[in-house]
Amino acid sequence: MEQLKTTTSTARPGFDANVAGKRAECDGGHAIAGTRYAGRQEFAGTLSGEYVDHGDPVWRWYLLVELTQKPDGYQQDSVWCESGNLFIVREERG
Amino acid sequence: MASDPLRTKLCDMLGIEFPVIAFTHCKDVAVSVINSGGFAVLGEAMHTPDDIAADIKWIRDRVDGKPFGIDLVLPSSVPPADTLQQLESKNPESHRKFAEEIKKKYDVPDPKGAIDLHSWGGLNQQMARAQLDVLLEERVPVIASGLGNPGFFLETAHERGIKVFGLVGKARQAKRQLDAGVDAVIAQGYDAAGHTGAIGTFSIVAEVAAMAGDTPIIAAGGVTTGRHLAAALCLGASGVWTGTLWLASRESDVDMIVKERLLAATAEETSYGDSISGMTMRVLDCPWTQEWAKPEAPPALPPPYQMLLSSDYIQGSNDNRREDLMTEAAGQGVGFVTAMKPARQILFDMVEEALAAFEERVGELA
Repeated sequence: MEQLKTTTSTARPGFDANVAGKRAECDGGHAIAGTRYAGRQEFAGTLSGEYVDHGDPVWRWYLLVELTQKPDGYQQDSVWCESGNLFIVREERG
Repeated sequence: MASDPLRTKLCDMLGIEFPVIAFTHCKDVAVSVINSGGFAVLGEAMHTPDDIAADIKWIRDRVDGKPFGIDLVLPSSVPPADTLQQLESKNPESHRKFAEEIKKKYDVPDPKGAIDLHSWGGLNQQMARAQLDVLLEERVPVIASGLGNPGFFLETAHERGIKVFGLVGKARQAKRQLDAGVDAVIAQGYDAAGHTGAIGTFSIVAEVAAMAGDTPIIAAGGVTTGRHLAAALCLGASGVWTGTLWLASRESDVDMIVKERLLAATAEETSYGDSISGMTMRVLDCPWTQEWAKPEAPPALPPPYQMLLSSDYIQGSNDNRREDLMTEAAGQGVGFVTAMKPARQILFDMVEEALAAFEERVGELA
C-alpha cells in the first residue's frame, strides 16, 4: 500500500484578513457525546479572521464571533465553524 | 418508461441491483442488505479509528468484493472546549431538580456501569479527522458524510477511488456540495429519525434533484415502503436512504424490547424535540420526552448540557431494560415497520411493492 498522504498533525492556527469582519451564517452541528445521535445547529455572526487547519488535505475551521443567531441557551459568544458550512452574507448597500 | 424503473444511475454507479441504501449501525444488517442486491452504509461516528478499521475488515470478509459505505458525522460547528467537570458545573439547579423528579416519578433505575458519556473523549475536529483518515487509508468504496461538508477531502478520496456522498437538509448545502463535486447527495427531510432539517422530504428531494444535473440524489426521511421508493424516484431521486426500516429486522442488534416498541409504534409516537440532547431530533416517545414537552418543564439546555442530564435516564433505562422508559431514534415511517423480518426479505418486499406501484400507475395511464 502506498504511504498514506493524510495526516492528523497538530492543528495549525492562522489569520485570514480576507474574511475578517465579514458577516456569515453557519449550518452547524455535531455528534452528541455518548450517543449514536447528532444534531444540527444554526449560527450567524461575524468572522474574526482566526482559523485553524487540521491535517492534510486541509480541513479549515473559522471562528465566528459576535453571534446574532445561536441555539437557545447556547452559552458561549463564539463558535468554530467548518469552512464548507459557512455562508458569507452579502451586505446590504445603503 | 424504462423496462426496469428501479434501474437507476445510482445502481450503475455502485454496481448494485436495487436503489436502496440501508443506513445502519449493525454490521450484520449491512452485510445482509449488500449480499441481497442493495447497498449499505455503516454508521461509525462513535467508533475509534481502530474499531472502524476492524469493522471494515469484518465487512470486506463477508461481501465478496461488493461495495459498501461508512458514514461519519463530520462536525460542522464546535463550541470552544470545556472539560466535563466544567460542563457539569454549569447545569442549573432547576434543571437538575427536574431531571431528578422524572427519575423519581418513573422509578428510573441507576445505570449499572459508568455512564458512557463520562468516558468518551468527545468528537472534536481532531477525533473526526482521525476517523476520516482511516477511511481514506482503507479505501472504503463509499464515504458518507452524515452532517458536515465533505468537500475538503473530495480530491484525496477520488484519487483513491473512493466515492463520497454528502447528506444535506437545505438546498444551499446541496449546492455547495454539488459544486465541490460529491458523487451523490442525500437529501434528508424532516420525517427522518435523529437529526433532521426543517424541510419535509417531498420538498427537499424535489428541490435538490432539480439542481443536481447528472449527480444522483438519494431521498431520505420517512422512506419505509416500496411506495415511498417509487415516489422518491418520481421526485427525481435515484435511490433511497433508509434507517428506521432496519432497526427491527432479525439481524439488527437493537434490544428486543426496543424492537417490539418499534413494531407497535405509529408515526404519532415519535417526537421531534430537544430534550435528549439539546438538539432537535426525532425519537420514539418516552417518559423523558413527554415530561420535557410539558408547559411546566424548563427549556432544554444546549448541548452538551442537556445530554449530561438525560444520560443518566437513558443509560439507566437501557442497562436495566425497562420497556416503559427506553427510546431509540425513529423516523415517521415507523408505522410501516410491523414485522420482524430478515433484512433480505425487507429489501425484497420493498422492491416488489415499488414495482407494483409503478405497474399500477402505468396501467391506469394505458
